[in-house]
Amino acid sequence: MLSVENITVCYGQMKALQGVSLEISQGDMVALIGANGSGKSTLMNVISGMIQAVSGEIIWEGRPLKGLSPDNICQAGIIQVPEGRKLFPGMTVEENIIMGAYHPNVRRQAPESLQKVFSTFPRLADRRRQFAGSLSGGEQQMVALGRALMAKPRLLMLDEPSLGLAPKAAAEIFMIIKELNKEGMTILLVSQEVLETLSITTYGYVLENGIMALKGPSRELRENPKVKTSYLGL
Amino acid sequence: MDAVLIIQSLISGIMMGMVYALLGVGFSLTWGVMHVIHISHAAFGLIGAYLSYSLLQYCGVDPVVSAAVSVPLLFITACGLYQLLIRPITRAQNIVMASMILTFGLAIILENIMALIWKADPRVLTPTYSSGALIAGPFYFQYPHLVGFGLSVLGITAIYLFLKKTYTGMAVRAAWQQPEAAQLYGVNLYRISMITFALAVSTAGAGGISLALLNSFEPHSHNLWLIYLFLVVIVGGVGNVIGTALAGLIIGVITGLSMAFLPFQWVNLVTFGLLMIFLIFRPHGLIKQEGM
Repeated sequence: MLSVENITVCYGQMKALQGVSLEISQGDMVALIGANGSGKSTLMNVISGMIQAVSGEIIWEGRPLKGLSPDNICQAGIIQVPEGRKLFPGMTVEENIIMGAYHPNVRRQAPESLQKVFSTFPRLADRRRQFAGSLSGGEQQMVALGRALMAKPRLLMLDEPSLGLAPKAAAEIFMIIKELNKEGMTILLVSQEVLETLSITTYGYVLENGIMALKGPSRELRENPKVKTSYLGL
Repeated sequence: MDAVLIIQSLISGIMMGMVYALLGVGFSLTWGVMHVIHISHAAFGLIGAYLSYSLLQYCGVDPVVSAAVSVPLLFITACGLYQLLIRPITRAQNIVMASMILTFGLAIILENIMALIWKADPRVLTPTYSSGALIAGPFYFQYPHLVGFGLSVLGITAIYLFLKKTYTGMAVRAAWQQPEAAQLYGVNLYRISMITFALAVSTAGAGGISLALLNSFEPHSHNLWLIYLFLVVIVGGVGNVIGTALAGLIIGVITGLSMAFLPFQWVNLVTFGLLMIFLIFRPHGLIKQEGM
């Protein structure tokens, strides 16, 4: 469905990504793990069109994405939930979620989608008129997920969805992600909760200093001695 | 002091203030959304005023009717202007400074074009109802003032509903509060910037027509209007429509009352003195709010 081939990204002189490749098939949930600054968010932003790669290619459903702007990539069905959620602080919960259906392709279904989001996250329905900034971290992440679901993603990319959340809220978010994948959503999950991430995904990639250091089925990665010492603290 | 005079000047102040608010809203939006400080904003308002003047003078079209033509016309012109002048400078390191210098130049050009076409004499809009007035007990309201006030209320309400109720309006707010996320959800920042700029310029036109119904104007009047725009936007909070409307009203009332009771040369001193005091205590504006 998505194949990232040999992507290199530079920030000035520094190479943020160097010949990185990644493959996602329909219905998969793929993990992308790595330390801070290893290039995970950069890779997501290249796929979303926010950052231009120096070389390499991204093929989405058989078509190259190169040169497309973020709004076109959104239209193509690749939706990112950015790190830190990036909600619209001066908008209400409902307005934030509705903004997810901004693209004309999905706008017509917005009322039904909104009902669906509110039935998935009933707590948000109670707070629909509150400003997004006034919610707790876990609720804000739900708003971010709800906003993404409004866009009818065919590939959902989640960047650190549990970062800064209380353990209970983080567990809840992971449950929801698992549920979405079970319903058939293709997901690319970036997280520093390595054990949790590798236990709900089928395949994983490990980025180290902009290089894809490891890849393999998540189960095998969990047993990999290098992953164990570097990321699981075992 | 005379109660009738106080109330009369209070109401005149509110009328004037609403017009300032309509002029200020667009100025505030371009500032907030695009980081463009549009110095020629008031000059476009003046173009709106002159267009209605000519249409009234030579074709006998009422200013409110001609607004329906000149406001969309300004919208289209502004779209072109955005592509030609504004979009290139949004790549500058310091957009605020670059935009101020660019639009300051534009304001001078526009002022001189207006002086060339309409001459430098002061003009007044004199629609058919200009000599009429509404008399309610001891109070007295000239019809043109009421129409100008109505036009500005209409303009502000339209912008508010646009920003609150339409997808494009929401995208304007989204682009300003969180541009990165807005892009990820399909907002094309260039398109939204163009719409914001064009909307601002066309509301300036409507504001200019309203103001022309209340006051006389000449090609350099926009300089004075601009000072009031800054005042309204600083007090209201950049990009805050409700705040801007409120600030417009407050400033209108202050100038209205001080015009009634102070010698003319003291009015600006009082207004701007109050601004300084206001800035010391509420540097972020009347309503502290991220985005609108």
